[in-house]
Amino acid sequence: MQPDTLSYDTLDSRPLPKWLIDQKSGLTTVQPEKIEMREDTSLKISFIVTAIVILLTISILTVYLLRKNKDQVS
Amino acid sequence: MKPNYIKIILLAGLISLACTTRVSEWVLLNSLPNQYTLIYFHNSQLDENIKKQNLAVVDGIKTANIQFKSVVRKDIEEPYYGLYYEDRLFSKYKTADEMKDLTSSPLREKIARELMAGKLCVMLYLKTDDKEKDEKGLTVIRNAIGSSPFGNIISLVELSRNSKEESHFASLLLNVEDDLRDIKEPMVFGIFGRFKALEPLLGRGISEGNLNLMIDYLTAECSCLIKDDLPGTDILFTNNWVNPQTALLNKIIDDNPFLGY
Repeated sequence: MQPDTLSYDTLDSRPLPKWLIDQKSGLTTVQPEKIEMREDTSLKISFIVTAIVILLTISILTVYLLRKNKDQVS
Repeated sequence: MKPNYIKIILLAGLISLACTTRVSEWVLLNSLPNQYTLIYFHNSQLDENIKKQNLAVVDGIKTANIQFKSVVRKDIEEPYYGLYYEDRLFSKYKTADEMKDLTSSPLREKIARELMAGKLCVMLYLKTDDKEKDEKGLTVIRNAIGSSPFGNIISLVELSRNSKEESHFASLLLNVEDDLRDIKEPMVFGIFGRFKALEPLLGRGISEGNLNLMIDYLTAECSCLIKDDLPGTDILFTNNWVNPQTALLNKIIDDNPFLGY
């Protein structure tokens, strides 16, 4: 690798090593996934799905029992 | 299952493993040190004595990351040996005696032992022999290592830039960048892998913040960006780097999964 040094007037203006610059700018690290805040709709969906399941079950059982009773009467 | 599928699954497994390896461990296991070239420049036919002398030189350096060449140059008055790293001239030697212990020395052996024992890195503090300056930097380094969660797996060694016993080693370090010889300030070199020395922090650049960034670099997951553009200079040394101990870093990361990110 080529040296990072360029011409400079004082020690304070001497360029930093490239690895340090990269590290400071986060270039060499694996970037963590950005987490964004979103509205949490999972509870709402859960209620709706539960309600649908309950209604479907009641409907199916109602139809089943009505048919069964109808057959017994006839 | 077809053999090809098994190969693909194994390959994917290996790739996934490689991506979770940390920089320091990946470099130690996979990155071969760059070669130095020692060139004997001469302007006339070599006599038998010189040939014997050069054979002895070759024999002395054959286990190190260096190759030897003999080159005729008509524009020189006296023959000499030139030590090159890539295309950079590091040192000139008039005689073979000046190259005694060129490829090895007690401190280099000690550092290699630390690296082979699974240490994260060795921080080498190159002192100026100005006590006030040296103590200031040393305190900062000790504090940084002491407060780091990886402090136990980092070794600190000190070396005077004027050391007679380690003169070759000090010279190699001062050639990591081409202006270091002219800067009379203490310097910290992070040494890792197979004796790769990072460009140093020096003078006021020796701060806890910068030292922590050095540690962060070495403990980071090894990305392709890092593998393709490894910083630092490989130090001339004779070691076969076979069967290093498992990196001590892994246990710390396993016990504290949030470290190293």
